[in-house]
Order: sequence, then structure tokens, then C-alpha cells
Amino acid sequence: MMGTSEPAIPASAAHRIALLLAKHGEELARHIRRIVCDDDTAQDLLQETMIRAWKAMERLAPGSNERAWLYRIATNTSLNHQRSRARERAALSRHAAELAASRDSDGGGRDDADRTGLWAEVALLPERQRLALSLRVADELDYDEIARRIGGTAEAARANVYQATRRLKLKVRQA
Amino acid sequence: MSTTTAAERQAALRIVSRAFGALTGRRGEELRYAMMDDTPVGILGLARGARGLRRVSFVRGEDEFLERLLAENGDAQILRSDELDDVRRALDRYFAGKRLDFDLAVDLSELAPFHRRVLGATAKVPAGRVATYTQIATRAGSPRASRAAGNALHANPVAIVVPCHRVLRTDGSLGGYGGGLPIKEWLLRHEGALL
Repeated sequence: MMGTSEPAIPASAAHRIALLLAKHGEELARHIRRIVCDDDTAQDLLQETMIRAWKAMERLAPGSNERAWLYRIATNTSLNHQRSRARERAALSRHAAELAASRDSDGGGRDDADRTGLWAEVALLPERQRLALSLRVADELDYDEIARRIGGTAEAARANVYQATRRLKLKVRQA
Repeated sequence: MSTTTAAERQAALRIVSRAFGALTGRRGEELRYAMMDDTPVGILGLARGARGLRRVSFVRGEDEFLERLLAENGDAQILRSDELDDVRRALDRYFAGKRLDFDLAVDLSELAPFHRRVLGATAKVPAGRVATYTQIATRAGSPRASRAAGNALHANPVAIVVPCHRVLRTDGSLGGYGGGLPIKEWLLRHEGALL
């Protein structure tokens, strides 16, 4: 049942994680879900929280409040996730606005509906293109760094960003 | 905790179940547990599976109870949950003297058949009454097995709810009790079986 993408955890650590998860899993899941409002994301984040907790366990002073400590990890993990999501969205919508503005200079009209439509187009981009675009415009990474994060070469990363931009521009013109 | 909706709780349980499976590879039965930290008889650990209540145990604390659950249910997925609020409420009513009998599904399927029969016979002894080890052995179908019946009662995994404390020696002395004799005595006085 264990897929290759699942983290490998030694048996004794699995036991400690099992104890922590058994004691606090349900309330942590509720806590995370209130922050991210999505079941699938909450599941990923709970898993991430438990892995972080396991890695940090040695640094937890004996006798300290385990539950409060777990809550802190869960909160940080969830808020970081929310922040990076928000950053990505903001940058993508900025990018969309720029594209729309460049179309304005071509003499076309522009309204919010266009932008909403563009948003949907961003969501429809192939995964690698969307990812490359967001790393480029949101995190302002250079192509070497983008390539390191998503795999492939810098040229491929540049091509992905180019294709994504071209596709969006095309959609803007068609609208 | 009381503001949590049932839907929210269900969602949280699903999330944690999947995360649990992914992290530990455990795919066994789901066992929910809860603690009662200050009852008149000390700390109680409660656990329930899909088919009913599996544990009411006298413990020193949550960690001891949890370690025991993990040791005894190797492949179960064990999770602290407020799903056992109804069990806690029933026990609260019992300790408050408002209602001395229990209307809870109990799951004894992990036990040997004789142990199940002994505990089944014990469950029929009403509050305020007592039975002897010999009587219980007889009702379980083995009149001469009173010592074995005593062992079965001592190993009762669902204390109080399956009232093994209502079983005494034929001479009227208390016999033994897993939670300690003072607790057996307290329970019997509480039920009015002892003055």
C-alpha cells in the first residue's frame, strides 16, 4: 500500500509519530482545516506537520508541552502554505493585469471579466507551464533556479514560461 | 470542543485517518479512545471500535493507556476522539448516582469463548446486587470453574460497564479486583450493595 512518494520512516519513529498522531491528530486536523478550509490540503498539511514534528522531536525539551508545540508546528505549516498560495495568486493576477494592459496599448478594451477569464486560463495551463510561470513572476527566480526546482534545463524552464505567456496573450486577444 | 459540528469532526477524522495510514502504513481497525481524568475511582481510559466498547481501564495516565492499546492492538489505528462523549456521559451519570446501569454496546469478540460467557453472565447482575464466583461459573456453563471464572473477571477489559465488581467470594468476602480492592469496595457501596 505504501507508495514510493510516501516518506520512509523508521519503525521506532513511526511508533512515536503514531503516539503523537493518536493523541492529537483529530484536534490538529480540525485546527488545520479551519486555516486552509480544504480537506485534501488539510490532509497534506497534517502529514507535513507530523513529519516536521518527528524531525524536530530531538530538540523538544523533556517535560515541555507537547500539544502546544504540535499546534505551533501545525499553525506555521498551514500559514506558510496560505502565504505562498496568496503570493502566487497575487503575482499571477499582477501578471494577468500586465498582459491585459499590454493588450490595452494595442487599442483593445478591458474590464474585470477579462481578468476573471484570464484567471481561469492560468488555472488551465499545463502543470509545468503554470509552475514555471508562477516561479518566474511570483518568486522572481531566474531560469537556472526554476530548472532546479521543477527539473529539466534552464532552457526548458524558459520555454515553459514563454509558452505559458504566449498562450495567455492569445487568450487575451481572443477575448 | 463542544462547538465542533458533527460534520467538522467527521472531516477531521477522515483527514487524520488518511494521514495516519500514509505515515505509519497501519491499515487496521479504527479504535477511538478518550480519557476521564478525575473520577471518584481515579483515571479511566476508554476505547471503542466499530462494534462497541472495548476498554474501560484503570490507568495512571494517558501515555500508559495509549502504550497499552498500541501493544494490545498492533495493527489498529488508534485515535483520541470526542466521539466517546456518550460513554463519558454514561459514566458521569453512574458516578453521580443518577443511573447505575449502562445502555452501551460492548465488544468482547477479542476474548476467548469462556471469558465471553463469564462476562456475559456478569453483565446480567443488576446494580445493588452481587453474585458469587461459583454462581457466575455455573451461569457460564461450567459450575466447577469458579477459579477460571475469577481469572476471566480479573481480565475484564470493560470495567464498571461490565460489572465484574459485583462478583464476590461465596463467604461474602470481596475476592480480588483489577483496579484494586478499595475501588471494588467503593463501587459496591456506591451501588448500595454494601453498607
